[in-house]
Amino acid sequence: MDDYQTEEESIEAVIGGNAYQHSRVNHWTTSVVEQCLSQLSKLGKPFKYIVTCIIMQKNGAGLQTASACFWDNNTDGSCAVRWENKSMYCIASVFGLAI
Amino acid sequence: MEEYNSGDEVVFSADEATSSVKECIEGVIGGTEYNQSRVNQWTASIVEHSLTHLVKQGRPFKYIVNCTIMQKSGAGLHTANSCYWDTATDGSCTVRWENRTMYCVVSVFAVAVPL
Repeated sequence: MDDYQTEEESIEAVIGGNAYQHSRVNHWTTSVVEQCLSQLSKLGKPFKYIVTCIIMQKNGAGLQTASACFWDNNTDGSCAVRWENKSMYCIASVFGLAI
Repeated sequence: MEEYNSGDEVVFSADEATSSVKECIEGVIGGTEYNQSRVNQWTASIVEHSLTHLVKQGRPFKYIVNCTIMQKSGAGLHTANSCYWDTATDGSCTVRWENRTMYCVVSVFAVAVPL
């Protein structure tokens, strides 16, 4: 799926090879969502997009996320990417709603 | 009889959604402690109840509700959202809730449906 690759590449480009750093993680989350969004809008499809990104430090804590959507099943959809390295997890989701 | 106050333009009301979501969260996890075997059920309940409340308002919107629950153990957590939509009609709201053992963050995104 195009979206999956777009998301994965954006995450890799922003935080690939970095260790969790409290002072930089704010900047990382915003970069990941902005990059994903600009790549998606470049595709030029008639969609509205919502991109969310969660970065969590690996510390043994439990994390659970869920989404529910009220939309048109025929035209709308979503895609979630899970990424991790030695010190953190990153979960990015894209929701696309047809115009 | 006109149901919407602002004529043709319907705008997402973040305040109403915020209070609605807060009630849902309280209803599901208020007074509980982080429990790994139940957290799956909790996130699903919160998103379902929130979504149901929003849809009941009968407004011409598509909704996405996102819920994250994290155990309090000193780990850092950051979330960010970015949206490509019509800023005149679409909107979002985020509710942060916590107790002694966990954090809960719920985001609601509302996208207007052309009538």
